[in-house]
Amino acid sequence: MFLHKLNPSIKALTVIVAVIGLALIFDPITPLLFSIWTIVFTFLFGKVNIKYYLLFLLPFMIISLGMLWTTIAFSDAPEHPAQTIHLLLWEIPEEDIVAALSLVFRMFAFATLSLLFIFTTDMVHFILSLMQQCKLPPKLAYGVLAGYRFLPLMKDEFNQIQEAHQVRGVKRTKKVRESIKQYRRFMIPLLAGAIRKAERTAVAMESKGFTGEKDRNFYRRFTVKSIDWIFLIVTLTALIAIAYVSNVLGYFSWYNGQF
Amino acid sequence: MKLLDVRQLHLQFQEVNDQVLSNISFSIDQGERLLLLGPSGCGKSTLTYGINGIYPRELDGTMTGDIQFRGNSVASYAPGEMSQHVGVVFQDPESQFCMITVEDEIAFGLENIHTPVERISSRIDHVLQLVGLEGARQRSIQTLSGGQKQKLALACVLAMEPELLILDEPTANLDPIATRDFIQTIQALQEEKGFALLVIEHQLDGWVSFIERGVMMNRSGELVYDGPIRDWMNRHKSALQCQGISMPAVTQLAMEKEWLDQCSHFPLTVSDVITGWRGSKEQITFPPEPRGSHSTSTILQLSSISWMKRKSRIISDVSLKIRKGEFIAMVGENGSGKTSLSRVMAGLQKPTKGNISFLGKPLSSWKEIDVRKHIGYVFQNPEHQLITDTVYEEIAFSLRVQGIEEYKVDQQVREVLDICQLNGMEERHPYTLSQGQKRRLSVASMIVDHQELLILDEPTFGQDAQSTEQLMTLLAQRQEKGATIVMVTHDMELVDKYADRVLVINKGEVVADGHPHKLWCDDGLARWQLNYPVRIQLQQQVEREGLYVSS
Amino acid sequence: MGLHNWKLKEIVVMSVLSVVFAVVYLAFLPVGKLLAGLFGPIGYDLIFGIWFIVSIVAAYIIRKKGAAFLSETIAATVEMLLGNAMGPILILTGIIQGLGAEAAFAVTRYKSYNLAVLMLAGVGAAVFSFVWGYFRSGYAVFGTGYILSMLVVRMISGALISGVLGKAISDALAKTGVLTGFALGKEQRRKKAA
Repeated sequence: MFLHKLNPSIKALTVIVAVIGLALIFDPITPLLFSIWTIVFTFLFGKVNIKYYLLFLLPFMIISLGMLWTTIAFSDAPEHPAQTIHLLLWEIPEEDIVAALSLVFRMFAFATLSLLFIFTTDMVHFILSLMQQCKLPPKLAYGVLAGYRFLPLMKDEFNQIQEAHQVRGVKRTKKVRESIKQYRRFMIPLLAGAIRKAERTAVAMESKGFTGEKDRNFYRRFTVKSIDWIFLIVTLTALIAIAYVSNVLGYFSWYNGQF
Repeated sequence: MKLLDVRQLHLQFQEVNDQVLSNISFSIDQGERLLLLGPSGCGKSTLTYGINGIYPRELDGTMTGDIQFRGNSVASYAPGEMSQHVGVVFQDPESQFCMITVEDEIAFGLENIHTPVERISSRIDHVLQLVGLEGARQRSIQTLSGGQKQKLALACVLAMEPELLILDEPTANLDPIATRDFIQTIQALQEEKGFALLVIEHQLDGWVSFIERGVMMNRSGELVYDGPIRDWMNRHKSALQCQGISMPAVTQLAMEKEWLDQCSHFPLTVSDVITGWRGSKEQITFPPEPRGSHSTSTILQLSSISWMKRKSRIISDVSLKIRKGEFIAMVGENGSGKTSLSRVMAGLQKPTKGNISFLGKPLSSWKEIDVRKHIGYVFQNPEHQLITDTVYEEIAFSLRVQGIEEYKVDQQVREVLDICQLNGMEERHPYTLSQGQKRRLSVASMIVDHQELLILDEPTFGQDAQSTEQLMTLLAQRQEKGATIVMVTHDMELVDKYADRVLVINKGEVVADGHPHKLWCDDGLARWQLNYPVRIQLQQQVEREGLYVSS
Repeated sequence: MGLHNWKLKEIVVMSVLSVVFAVVYLAFLPVGKLLAGLFGPIGYDLIFGIWFIVSIVAAYIIRKKGAAFLSETIAATVEMLLGNAMGPILILTGIIQGLGAEAAFAVTRYKSYNLAVLMLAGVGAAVFSFVWGYFRSGYAVFGTGYILSMLVVRMISGALISGVLGKAISDALAKTGVLTGFALGKEQRRKKAA
């Protein structure tokens, strides 16, 4: 699929530029429309499991609702308190509603952009591309890859430690002091094991001739093609076009940190 | 010119008084096979780092003497260059890789030595075929078994075409079947490719059939012997065990039975005994010592237990009774479900179907804390089980949880320290103990409450001869005191020697259940990927070939 | 960023620490949410120190220029890949928080790693992250008094959770003997020998 074949570094760059662009704008319509654009784009041009996609988006939705509430509750005194909106039994200043929605939709847009990246990019390819396109030092890049490999191992270790604790009669507790102690009992074996393995991995890498030297031949080569730039341009054009539409509708506003 | 020449090597770490390596000198010729033997923790691995040039560059300490490769000092090679000449396979299959897929991992090494990109792909196919991992090219390393991982590590190294291959306890984390398979692969490759081979080990089984020369190190990091392995073992046989070196099981048996006089040469393999046997046939096929269970009261009963994990059946319809005072061994190939079954028995895993009753009451109706007072479970990795900062606290932990009076706690802890030979270590941090001590500590923490059912998952795995011996003695003592022992193991010698009942698990089912001596009469153990103990192997050889008495 | 004086094992260990703490970071998000639900946005600030802790742990153990910055950046990247919905912007957040902690070590010229400096690093990360949050999340919508109290709470959390707790975790790790090849382990061995 198209999105999966893009150069990971340029894809990341596109997402970051779009995020920065969105961060400069503070109205509810621009990010909302852009989120819709991103979601449609993701599913049109990427092979994405919709169930997992929603699963990733769910916690975010919960944050959004919390955000919505707190923004309304804790915001500054409005400049035009007369303009209000009735919501159930409350009377809320319209400005606060607009601000809250702007904030929430902005985060929603960030999230959809992020999911576009995560769901269509292989972590290893991303790091290899960072090395080849962005001059990330190999020593750091392969060090990170080695560490990343530990993730599934750690999950197994965690389960085992949990059971081992059960056997030792470590009880679940609600007391703060006890739970801090318990976190420690998990963290220390987990970290100690991981550090020991990390040290061994480093030795194994060096004994395979790895020196961290910048001059390498890459078996998996990543290049930047015109299609990558087209993706960047299309995305940014879409953002500008959406901002324009929002302006026509009379919602557009720059973010000045003022509101 | 020697391929590798180690001259008067001394090595010492910062802020540690004792030398790790002290005056080590030996050499290897091109294409030679050499076994470097020494107890765990004697500095064998340190030597590896010196040979492939990681030390002294990465060493926090001092190294004197010289290591020469093809007449040039290793230190004079550029960083990374030695890897084209010397390849190493390390002990731990989990920590040798830095990439996600098999193909990328092999490519990693080739990229390091600037192999032209267009040649990498064909090299990958070539080495995968050499080690027998064809078809695994695109697989994720994580999905490989331990044995496959070690073969991959071997493939990575072979891809770089080294003239010297170093194997640093490569089978320590593998089960017997994978071990045998790995050693056979090495032997075939060495004969085909002719690289020099340096195997670093604390046990001899498997290697001695094709490596004759041995270099021995002692606990203080000194070289004590260089020559034919057989001669040296013959001379020092009784000292080896306390040096932490495991002899082949057949050698141990021959020594126990005082057969050495009847063997024409010092036996290292089963066929050594057979071909050089001077005694009578009856002597070899000796009957087992009778051993049997003595009690009839049931402690744990499983009725039609099944357990599903992610829709696949791990345990299917197991029913059995465990009687008080039994010493049960659970055997079976990797992935057969024996560990899962042991966890179900311990109440750590709820079965999907079926009932378990412990001391006549459904296990599910027991309170967790009471279950733990009666059932002890020792995990494969002892470190997971250790949760406090000192050995003393570790043992006292479960007593303290119950709020037992301090003087009683102390009394009980002292007693257990004594039983487990951990005296004098009370204040040590559990993680700083040796492998054997850690294992005994995890057992100690499980018997302090006088648990009557003790379940252990491969407790002798990765342990040297001496610790295995100590641990098994400890378990036998517990049994004598009335405890019931269930032990998951791969070691058929232990099954033959200690167990009075053996459960063979295959594809989640109990396919054989009875006294070990009865199991040995089954001539089809291979279908469950099981070995026979050497005693039986001898017997079978004798029966197959007949034995000609030479004197 | 000079990596030449870093040993490979230090880089891999730093990266492993980052991976472990990335999971911890993610695990504490719901806790933050819960607190935010109870106390409003300031709830997050109560435990904000959690999200800088790898900087302090890595810098304290490895003691090389860049440890605080790199570890936090990697942790943020991994956290994003594990599914934090904030996405690539999280990397930027990590970079900024890492720089905040790094600044404290730079001020002491990477010579001192006592508790005060570690707490300062936590405060540094808190300040940097707050300034970033102000612009990114639009704290401007809140009242001034509320904003100030958020900042103060976050600084305290940084000092206590990442500084004090981070040191405690590292010291406990050193006791297990796995850090003998790293600056912290060596220091403890010297102390013991003395």
